[in-house]
Amino acid sequence: MNRRINHQASSQKQLCTPAQHVMSRRRLLGSTAAAGLLGMGGLGGLVQPLIADELSQSNKQVLFIWIDGGMSQLESWDPKPNTKFGGPFRSIQTTLPGIRISELMPKTAEIMHLLALDRGVTTVDNSHSAGVPRIQRGDPKDRGVIYPYFGSAVAKLMGQGNSPLPPYIWVKPGSGGFKYQDAGFLGPRYGALAIGDGQPPPNLLLPEALSHDDNAARNRLRNFANAQYAAGRNPTFGEAQSFVFDSAQALMNRQSLFSDPDPADVELYGDTELGRDMLIGRKMLEAGVRFVKVNSYGWDTHGDNFNGHASLMPRFDQAFSAVVLDLEQRGMLDNTLVIAMSEFGRTPRINGHIGRDHWPEAWSIVMTGTGIRRGVVIGETNKTGTFVENDAHDIGDFFHTWFTALGINSLETEYLNNGQPLPIAHDDCKPIKELLT
Amino acid sequence: MTSLRISSGLAIILTVALCAPAPARGVELHTAIDRLIEDSADGMFAPPATDQEFLRRLFLDLTGEIPAPSDVTEFVANSAANKRTVMIDRLLQDDRYPRRMAELFNVMLMERRGTDPAWKRFLVDSFKTNRHWDSMVKTIIEPDLTNENEQGAGYFLTKRLEKYGQNPTDYPGLASDIGRLFMGVDLACAQCHDHLFVDDYSQADFQGMYAFVNNTFIRSDTEFPAIGQKVMKKPLEFQSVFEEEMFTTGPRIPGGAELEVPEYDSEHEFAVAPDPQSKAPGVPAFNPLHYLATTLPTASNLRFQSNFVNRLWASMMGNGLVWPLDLHHSDNPATHPELLSLLASEFAQHDFDIKWLVRELALTKVYQRSSILQTPTDNVQKAEAEYRVFREKALSSEQLMWSILKATGAESRYPIELEDEPKLEASLPTTIDQVQEHFIASFANPPREPEDEFAPSVRGSLFLMNSELVQSWVNVGGNNATEQLLKISDNKEVISSLYITVLSRAPTTVELKQMREFLVSHPDRPDAIAQLVWALLSCNEFLINH
Repeated sequence: MNRRINHQASSQKQLCTPAQHVMSRRRLLGSTAAAGLLGMGGLGGLVQPLIADELSQSNKQVLFIWIDGGMSQLESWDPKPNTKFGGPFRSIQTTLPGIRISELMPKTAEIMHLLALDRGVTTVDNSHSAGVPRIQRGDPKDRGVIYPYFGSAVAKLMGQGNSPLPPYIWVKPGSGGFKYQDAGFLGPRYGALAIGDGQPPPNLLLPEALSHDDNAARNRLRNFANAQYAAGRNPTFGEAQSFVFDSAQALMNRQSLFSDPDPADVELYGDTELGRDMLIGRKMLEAGVRFVKVNSYGWDTHGDNFNGHASLMPRFDQAFSAVVLDLEQRGMLDNTLVIAMSEFGRTPRINGHIGRDHWPEAWSIVMTGTGIRRGVVIGETNKTGTFVENDAHDIGDFFHTWFTALGINSLETEYLNNGQPLPIAHDDCKPIKELLT
Repeated sequence: MTSLRISSGLAIILTVALCAPAPARGVELHTAIDRLIEDSADGMFAPPATDQEFLRRLFLDLTGEIPAPSDVTEFVANSAANKRTVMIDRLLQDDRYPRRMAELFNVMLMERRGTDPAWKRFLVDSFKTNRHWDSMVKTIIEPDLTNENEQGAGYFLTKRLEKYGQNPTDYPGLASDIGRLFMGVDLACAQCHDHLFVDDYSQADFQGMYAFVNNTFIRSDTEFPAIGQKVMKKPLEFQSVFEEEMFTTGPRIPGGAELEVPEYDSEHEFAVAPDPQSKAPGVPAFNPLHYLATTLPTASNLRFQSNFVNRLWASMMGNGLVWPLDLHHSDNPATHPELLSLLASEFAQHDFDIKWLVRELALTKVYQRSSILQTPTDNVQKAEAEYRVFREKALSSEQLMWSILKATGAESRYPIELEDEPKLEASLPTTIDQVQEHFIASFANPPREPEDEFAPSVRGSLFLMNSELVQSWVNVGGNNATEQLLKISDNKEVISSLYITVLSRAPTTVELKQMREFLVSHPDRPDAIAQLVWALLSCNEFLINH
């Protein structure tokens, strides 16, 4: 049926939770955070440091929209109206001749010519706990280490570029803070700085009593003291410690990122949580952040799938179409890779609770922006949407595609983890040419 | 069914470890350590640390905080040849030693899962009375619940049985944590099959450990954390995900003998019957935890010894002889195998006396060496790997908190026993536990992540730069360090006092000059001094144990 990658023992009954399984593997080879920190520009720890040097000069950015819980492909990108599992919604014409998407996405239908859609996605895991990390890590071959999430990978491979801001920012509902679990063996430095509920990270504001000049002066004193300490000592700890102060200062310098949004923008993006976060995401991209993840939660519609999607999809439709158009109008789309996806799709079969369950067998991923061919639709599911016809693509193929779009040779670039070279994407996968310019 | 496979890899290591060299008669352990390190090194050794650097390091490691200025001046002025030894002995008797060790062991054993008053009491009492490591581990697995100081020890087990998030009760995690933290073996990846990369770790090893804990539960009839056991009626069955064959095992410590699971009729399955009145669960006649408690922490279990000495070595010297700390196996040998064997056997000889081992390690030249390379052109990684230079260490959030409180003079604002109403405005923490929470939120790892690597974060920097709490300590007020410094009119004296208060040493000429220029040029003296205090609190020399 489909080309399936050999995922070792993945589908078998396990006593352990897969997350824990992976966790202790990380410990196996022991990512030395300190060793990773040696490369201050994000250049260290690669087999090919010269490539990394070049990449760090690149101005390419990423907007990664994560629809957590599983968006139904049948109520979005791959509708099957009037079929056994089609559900109640109709499909509508898009700006691409012959391509129809769900009527729940009227605004996106207007920008379909800007997008690249793959309807032939087949992945492995059908549980959230395993699926989310597995998909966001690109599901590479098991080499006994925990791979980084896509955001951490890009932060490592491309660095923070010309922006002083942290290279990986995660805009999400709920709690914010510093989430270094995403970084896997790359070490905590490549984790995400999470902006929760649109709130700035704690302690971002300079104390009122302290002027900017005073702040600059006290930091000059600190740097002076650091220079005194550094003489004759291993620079690793000192540089890592100084680096986090510099990053903190860079964030403090960009407080406008957290100020109240322009009402015209709110109108455009939608007065919703996702609209708000997408807008913050755009501001982060404008400020030069290398990788921005915008998160939407609550898509796990095991019950009442159709009312659920009727309520969720318009918010996505508006925020997604707005950000793509906005980036295009600002001339940023040519440099920004935009991806929207979940950890899996939803079952064509409608369950007893009028819901759809988890379905990694046949779902859709959409993308646009730098390096991506616009106005293409590839991959095809069968009549009832249950399986992919022809060549299915796994998440490893997409990682190759996205790295390629960002100018990274995914077939040759390797991480170097304590002397162990590690391919950046699954060895048995390759870039999807039809999606690339 | 097939009978259990014996893990041959473990057996081999046990044999190797048994051949540990005995130190020459009459040679104390610290001397033997230095000989082994010197014999295996290839290059120039850094000189001994200065008195100031040594004292700061020792205070941080033994009391959990930096020395007071008077400690530094007295120590430097002392001309006795044995003053370092005397200081080590003094600090081992210091009131802060049990607190520091309790904090160190809490982080090591609980990995930031949280804390509990009874658990804390157990740890502090253990270090106050110098409970030996074998007794500590035995008590953790099987506490005497009638002894108030042992009651909380079960927290190690109960906390790991608490559900978090949507995860099921993590029995496998508990089994592997007992292996990781008490024997230095991470068997988690051998749960579903023999370990894919570590030949020594078999699935049978994991399952044998798992059989000790998979019948445990959290008791609901006690006011302190305590564990109960259901009756184990038959051996555990397991199967590799790669094979069809079914295996069985009773409880078994890796490298040890399998415990046979006896069959009792229902009348005899409890040694102590459950009490419906008090809701106390019974004690099963077949009691795997009792066997674990009496067999694991013993002199015949070499992994138990090596694990501990390696962890304590890492805590004192900045890196494990075996690294990662929980991956002792034959393909991941110690950097100094003879040294590890010697430490392990001597530790057992001294009945697992932790304080004795801390003392011996502190007495070594290895511990007392400078963190500055002798030759700047030396390969620093190699020098550190050979212990020719002292390796910098991270400060725990606890060490950082106590040290900042000490340096700023804010310690007295948070008395352990609250007598009066809190003096500060309510938006700020008023107790030491609340202050602790701020430090843990800003500097500690997330739950279940071991803190064995240096991992500074932006959130920590933001806390130091901008938090109201740090500002309230640094800005003049409440007779704090800034206020004290403000009373001094001579700038040179201000800076000397500042350096010894915060960095536990005198300033160099260059530092005197630079800091004096700042003081003179700044229009507002209280602000200027506050900023000087802040700059030294936030500099690498303060934030790193060196």
